[in-house]
Amino acid sequence: MSLTLYLGCVIRTVQPEVEKAVKETLSRIGVSFSEQPEASCCAPSWFFSLSREAWLRLNERNMRLLNSTVVTACDDCFASLSDAFRIIAESKGVKPPGLKPFQTLLLERLREVKPRLGFKGLRCAVQHSCRFLRPAGRGLDNPEDPKTVKSVLEALGFLPVSYEGELNCCGGFVSDENVGGEMARLKAGSAEKAGADCIVATCSHCMLRLSPVSRIPVLHLGQLSAFSLGSDPLQIGFPEALLRRVVKR
Amino acid sequence: MIETLRKKGAGNPLKCVQCGSCTSACPVTLIREDFNPRRIVGSIARFNRLPDQDPWLCSTCSLCSERCPQAVNPFSIIMVLRSVLYENGGEAPLSILKMVEQVRETGLAFPLTPESREKRRLLCLPEAGLSEQGLSEVRRILREAGFK
Repeated sequence: MSLTLYLGCVIRTVQPEVEKAVKETLSRIGVSFSEQPEASCCAPSWFFSLSREAWLRLNERNMRLLNSTVVTACDDCFASLSDAFRIIAESKGVKPPGLKPFQTLLLERLREVKPRLGFKGLRCAVQHSCRFLRPAGRGLDNPEDPKTVKSVLEALGFLPVSYEGELNCCGGFVSDENVGGEMARLKAGSAEKAGADCIVATCSHCMLRLSPVSRIPVLHLGQLSAFSLGSDPLQIGFPEALLRRVVKR
Repeated sequence: MIETLRKKGAGNPLKCVQCGSCTSACPVTLIREDFNPRRIVGSIARFNRLPDQDPWLCSTCSLCSERCPQAVNPFSIIMVLRSVLYENGGEAPLSILKMVEQVRETGLAFPLTPESREKRRLLCLPEAGLSEQGLSEVRRILREAGFK
């Protein structure tokens, strides 16, 4: 299986350990991938809000560069590329490149390769990103009862924890810091109250919003998968506090 | 305003029955009662004018559109409101303008600091950022789309 990996701006600049973890995961589940360093920002909703033309033209350029099936490591990138590629492809009468979120690919591959896992036991609260859940018409998961990320966690030996407000938006894209911060505080507090050891996200902007207000670590799914599949915790930014909570198999 | 929404492919506010499903689903309204998607759509449908609410408060979660029984798509309407306000000289949040500026600098919306470059090097990750040619393409797109 050969794919082009689109990591997104936040991972490439602010979260290199997540990039390492996503790449290690893909290698360990037998996915070969290439990268396209010339691809730019996917110009998501905040950009679209200012200029639909810039959003479409930046992604027309990205579509030219990313000409094989693309796997995205951030749900915001997935949504922006998916919407833009569909509009551009329709206007040109061509087929858009295939796109797949990291967690969808991971679930498919884990069911096939059934890897040997080193650990079990961590209690994880899933931050289901709005971009992955909606619009429901995209058909990635059931927006009222999403299962993808929880199934990945279970396949990796972790324990998904349900919590109050689990499907709420984390406030990642609210420009007013007070409002966005309050939304994130409510979510992170609820996850902690439910007994979670960590919060697991698949969108970089959810991570950026939740991390500063959460008293429990906020991780990208790729960090948990890479850890479970045998990567060095130091290289993938796996928090020391969580190492004490996992149980060796 | 209704015509602008139609041209930009946003939802149709005239189909709104003011049931309030959007507002009861809105996570921002829970914290800021003055942000009200039902009233935003209603003000356009009834008076065909820009509502007096800040569309930048929207979290873009799109739950309003998912819950709307009339397929009005308030989320899409709010996105178009933002662009109409911005095109007419209105202010956009500084955090967002900074990201646009950053895309012009490196092609990415967040800065490549010396610390992040060093971290990448230590993790044996390739250099991030676009080539000069790639950057000139991105800058041309932004210039032609009206960003100064």
